[in-house]
Amino acid sequence: MGRILIRFSEEKVSEPIASQIIIKYKVPMAILSAHVNSKGGEILAEVPDDMEEKIVKAFRERGVEVTVPKLIEVDNEKCFSCGSCIALCPVEAISLDRDSTVQFDKEKCVGSTCSICVDACPARAIKSVKNGAKKS
Amino acid sequence: MSNQAKTRTVEEINKKIRRGDAQVLTAEEMKRLVEESGVEVAFKEVDVVTTGTFGAMCSSGAVINLGHSDPPIKIDHAWLNDVEVCHPGAAVDLFVGATNMSEKQPFEYGGGHVIEDLVAGREVELRATAYGTDCYPRTSIKTTLTKDDLNQFCLLNFRNGYQRYNCAVNSSEEIIYTYMSKLLPRIRNATFSGAGELNPLMNDPDYETMGMGTRIFLGGAQGYIIGEGTQHSPKNLNGTLMVKGDAKKMTPEFLQGAAFTKYGTSLYVGLGVPIPILNEGLAKKTAIQDSEIFTDIVDYSVPRRDRPKFGKVSYKELKSGSIAVNDKKVRVSSLSSLKMAKKVATTLKSWINEGQFLLTAPVERLPTNTVFKPMRQTEEIPFVVSVMHPAVTCTEKEPIQAIAERIVTKSVNHIVVVDDAGKILGIVTSWDITRAMAEGKKALADIESRNVITAKPDEPLEIASKRMAQNNISALPVIDIERKVLGIITSEDVSRLLGR
Repeated sequence: MGRILIRFSEEKVSEPIASQIIIKYKVPMAILSAHVNSKGGEILAEVPDDMEEKIVKAFRERGVEVTVPKLIEVDNEKCFSCGSCIALCPVEAISLDRDSTVQFDKEKCVGSTCSICVDACPARAIKSVKNGAKKS
Repeated sequence: MSNQAKTRTVEEINKKIRRGDAQVLTAEEMKRLVEESGVEVAFKEVDVVTTGTFGAMCSSGAVINLGHSDPPIKIDHAWLNDVEVCHPGAAVDLFVGATNMSEKQPFEYGGGHVIEDLVAGREVELRATAYGTDCYPRTSIKTTLTKDDLNQFCLLNFRNGYQRYNCAVNSSEEIIYTYMSKLLPRIRNATFSGAGELNPLMNDPDYETMGMGTRIFLGGAQGYIIGEGTQHSPKNLNGTLMVKGDAKKMTPEFLQGAAFTKYGTSLYVGLGVPIPILNEGLAKKTAIQDSEIFTDIVDYSVPRRDRPKFGKVSYKELKSGSIAVNDKKVRVSSLSSLKMAKKVATTLKSWINEGQFLLTAPVERLPTNTVFKPMRQTEEIPFVVSVMHPAVTCTEKEPIQAIAERIVTKSVNHIVVVDDAGKILGIVTSWDITRAMAEGKKALADIESRNVITAKPDEPLEIASKRMAQNNISALPVIDIERKVLGIITSEDVSRLLGR
């Protein structure tokens, strides 16, 4: 599964674009997080790898911005593996390995749309990266 | 030592350390050995058990001597990297407290970070002002310093190494930020602190081997216990240590500044105590396991000294990642680092094995009978319960006419809407009734407010009063944890008592 971050502008947010695309392409799109209001919105979704390119194109053709989200960045020099972040994570992307070292699972992390762990890090080792690199 | 001997001394152990044949185990290894081979064998085979902890220890700081400037200054106020520091003594002695915050980056940078920066060899900026005297004429100074420029840079922590600590949860409706970190509403997470079975005091709970003069691992260098820590409370297994050490020799890996959002700054301290296994009793005590160490689950949403508790939990459960609170599974994570605690214990072990670290017997053991008293308060502050009075209530089925009559007969402005079990559903004010009359509305459901702002009986009245002002309302129903209505407080009650 590939992860895409879909951003709707104020003009586009009222149109049922996501539904249209889901129906047209019969894509099983899993919504991981969504923040939407009349001013615009942001949806983080997971789509099957073999459909990702098609889906990204479909959104862009309809005037919606799509990026492949950069997740949070962890500074391993600063992190001293207390683990304060672990129980906060809604998708259980953070864990302690056998060595009691904090590990981030970048596959599971929903990234900057969540960021619940960022201000709970006493070492300030976690940064949320708002603008991910665009996938062509 | 012969195989028959039932005790050994610190001197005997030090002889073996010098010869390079002392048997040293970390606390983790000791537990496994006792489990596999029993206490008797463990006592025979093991000379020293090393412990360790690495956590946020707010009551930490450093004493610094700057040397004299020319012309000399008797410092009145001083800042290191914009963190105001204390000047408790003579002209150029400073105390950097871990929780003092930067004036430019409060909550993000503080005394703990200043200590870490100095330990790491980084330059810090000193600013100081003075009133000027005949002997110390200078009135201000600005310079940069590294640890090499300081005469003394002594870590002096008056409370470290808590034997065990609370597990924190938040039963309120809002996120709270505490020294136990970020606590999600409705008990959606829990936090704890402490190394459990690796904690120094937990491995010698009668403090047989610890006290003033005990040489320890502190911040990556050798340090000393100089006595009981503040709030030392041995009878309920909440012992603490006061420690000191030469910070110039310490390493930033084991001494790290920390920031707790909306709470403040602190210092993570790596601390380890070697426990000489002087008798079989100590072999047994150092075998203590996380499953035998319990702590309370405490509700930090109640801003009181004695906070409500949700039962007890073992460190084994805490370290498993989830605990049960009110029969509900709650994920729990640590604030202190188990990884670093283990590293403290293994580093201390290697120092002893390499003959670089000799043990000391305490000059005076830590007390085992002191108590931690609450503050004597000469002025009592009022709580919600002290002004709360019975609420006039109604049910959703009642016609507005009946409610209007009740407002008049009971001479109140607020009626609390409850269900059959007495739990809060909403609130109706005399203003809502007036509006219903004007707009011709008949059903209570159309006029009642459902998102009711409430108070708890044991909250300070001051906090409840602020909540009323912030929400621009004039009454708060008082409810219990099950949302049952206990009473009501109004702004008149508050102003009568607080005089505003």
